[in-house]
Amino acid sequence: MTRDWWKHMVLILGTIIVLAPFYMMVSYSFKSPGEIDQGVGGFFGRQEQMIDPRCVALRQPDRADIEAARDRFAGQDDSGVQAALLAETEAACSMRPVVFNYSKAFTEAPLMRYLLNGVIVTVSIFLIQIVVALPAAYALAKLKFWGREAVFGLVLFCLLIPVHAIALPLYIMLAKLGLTNTYAALVVPWTISVFGIFLMRQFFMTVPDDLIDAARMDGMSELAIVWRVMLPTAIPALLAFAIFSIVAHWNDYFWPRIVVTGNRDLFTPPLGLREFKGDGDGSFFGPMMATATVIVTPLIVAFLIAQRRFIEGITLSGMK
Amino acid sequence: MTVIDANPAPKAYVDRRQARSAWSLTAPALALMVLILLVPVLVALVLSFSNYSLGNSGFDWVGTQNYERLFTRSTYEKMFIATFTYVVTVVPISVGLGLGAALLVHSLGRIGDIYKTIYFLPVMATLLAMAIAWEFMLHPTIGMVNRTLEGACGTWFEAVPFFANGCAEGFPLWLGDRDYAIWVVCFIGIWQGFGFNMVLYLAGLTSVHRELYHAAEMDGAKSAWERFRLVTWPALGPTTVFVVTISCIRAFQVFDTIEAFWPQGGGPNKSAYVMMFAIFEKGIQQNLIGIGSAITMLFLLFVMFLTLIQRWLVERKVHY
Repeated sequence: MTRDWWKHMVLILGTIIVLAPFYMMVSYSFKSPGEIDQGVGGFFGRQEQMIDPRCVALRQPDRADIEAARDRFAGQDDSGVQAALLAETEAACSMRPVVFNYSKAFTEAPLMRYLLNGVIVTVSIFLIQIVVALPAAYALAKLKFWGREAVFGLVLFCLLIPVHAIALPLYIMLAKLGLTNTYAALVVPWTISVFGIFLMRQFFMTVPDDLIDAARMDGMSELAIVWRVMLPTAIPALLAFAIFSIVAHWNDYFWPRIVVTGNRDLFTPPLGLREFKGDGDGSFFGPMMATATVIVTPLIVAFLIAQRRFIEGITLSGMK
Repeated sequence: MTVIDANPAPKAYVDRRQARSAWSLTAPALALMVLILLVPVLVALVLSFSNYSLGNSGFDWVGTQNYERLFTRSTYEKMFIATFTYVVTVVPISVGLGLGAALLVHSLGRIGDIYKTIYFLPVMATLLAMAIAWEFMLHPTIGMVNRTLEGACGTWFEAVPFFANGCAEGFPLWLGDRDYAIWVVCFIGIWQGFGFNMVLYLAGLTSVHRELYHAAEMDGAKSAWERFRLVTWPALGPTTVFVVTISCIRAFQVFDTIEAFWPQGGGPNKSAYVMMFAIFEKGIQQNLIGIGSAITMLFLLFVMFLTLIQRWLVERKVHY
C-alpha cells in the first residue's frame, strides 16, 4: 500500500476529472436556478422552497376568481382578496428545487415519450439484428455450400463500412421511399449487423457438430436447429452482443438527428435533450440537467449492476 | 468404403438440401447487406460526380468538380485540418492514457477494479448528454472550470503565465474561442474514449505470461521500465494495433460534441468543422448532395485504408 501510494494519487486525479461532469450534471439537477447562477449550495443545494415564476404567471387571479373567492375572504375589499389569492397561488406553486427540476423535465417536453421511443427503437433494432444474423451465422459456420467463401468474404468486406459514414446515401434512399420521419427510418439501417454475423459465426464454429447431427436425426429442419439448438448454446455471446447493440443505439445521436426532423413524437432521448437545450434559457439549466440525468441513468445503473457483462459486451469488437 | 459406394445418391441429395437451406438462411442477411451497405456506397460514388439535390427532377454530371472543390476551397481545408487535428491528438493520447491506466490498475490487483469501473463510465454514458454537461462546466462565467481556475488567483499559481493572464483579463471562453475550441473537443474525446482503451489493454495484460517476466529478470531486466520494454509492450502488440485502429475510426466519426456545441457552422471560425459534421451540413441541411457524397467517399477511403492496415498487421502477427 505504501509502495503504491503514487499510483493511487495518479488514479484519483484521473477519477476527479472523469467524474466531474457527472457530479455537475447530478448536482445541477438538484439545485435551484439561483444556486446554479451563484455556484453555491454544495452538492444537493439547500433545497429551500422556491416559487416557479411561470406557474404563478399562468395562474394570475382574474376578475372571476376574485368574485368566486369573495365568500372565503369575507370583509375584505377587492385588492385584499386578490392579495390573498396571490399568496395562495404562490404557496401552490412553490416546491423544492429537486421536485421543480424533475417535474419540469417531464412536463416541459414529453420525456416519457422520448424514453419509450428509445426503448422501442433499441429493442426492435436488436431483435431484427438477431433474426437476420443468427441464421446467416449458422449457415456460414456449419453448413457446406457452394459460395460460402464468397458470402463470408462479403461479410468481411462489409465490416469495413461504418454505417454512420454512409448516412448520406442511406438518407437519400429513405427520403426517396418517403420513409424519413418514421420509426422505420430509425431502425432499418441498423437491421443488418455484419459484426453480429461475424461474431456469432466465430462462436458457432466452436459448437460441436454432433449436437447438430443429433438434431438432424430427430428430423429438425435447419431453421429449427438455429432457434432451438444453436440459440440456447449462444446465450452468453448473445447477451454480450445485446449489450453492445443496445448501448450503441440508446446513445446514438447522429442517425436520429438525420432522419427525424421536427416530429417530436419520434424523438429518441438524445434528440429530446438536444431540443430542450435549443429552446431553454438560463433558468432551465436545472430541468435540463435533470433530463440528462434521466437519460444517462438507466445504462449507468445497469452497468454498475452487471459490470463484467457490460465490459465484455462493449469491448466485443476486441474479439475480432 | 462400401457404405459410401452404396449410398452415393442420398449423400448428394443431403448436400444439395443443405446448400438450399444454407442459401435460404443467408438470403435475408445477404439482401440487407447489399441494400443497406453496398448499394449506398455505390450511390455515394455515383452522386459524387453529379450536382444532385433532393427534390430536383434532374441533375447534371459535373465530373470531378466536387472533388476539386474539396481540395481547393478553404472551407474544406479547414475541414481536413480540424479532422486530422482531432484524430492525431485524440488517438495517441487516449491510447497512451488507456495503456497507462491499464498498467496502474493491473498492478493494483483487486483494489484497481474500482478505478476500472469509474474510468469506464464515460464510455457508457450518452455522449450528447455529457457534451451538454461539459458545456456547462466550461461556461465562461458560471462554469465550474473557470470558477475553479479563478479560485487559484492570488496564490502562487499566478506565477504561471496562463493564470496571470486569466486572473487579469478573465479566463478563456473555451468553446467560444477559436484557439481553444478544437482542443476542448479533443479533450472531451479523450475523456470519453480512454476508458475503452484501458479495458482492452487490461484484457491484453491478463494474457501476458508471468514466466516471461521471470525470464526477463533472469536476463538482467531489473528495472520496471526494462521489463515493460522487453516483455509487456511486445506482448501487447496485437492489442495495440487493434486499439489504435478502433480509436482512429471512432475519432474520424466525431460528431455529437461538435453538433451539441455549435449547431451552426462547426465552431468559431470553423475551427472544429470535422468531416462528419461537414457531411451533415452540406449533404443534409444544405441539400448539396454531390459535395456531401464526395466527402463521404473520402471518409470511407480513410476508414477502409485504416482497417486494411490493421488486418495486414494482424495477419503478420505483429510482435514489434
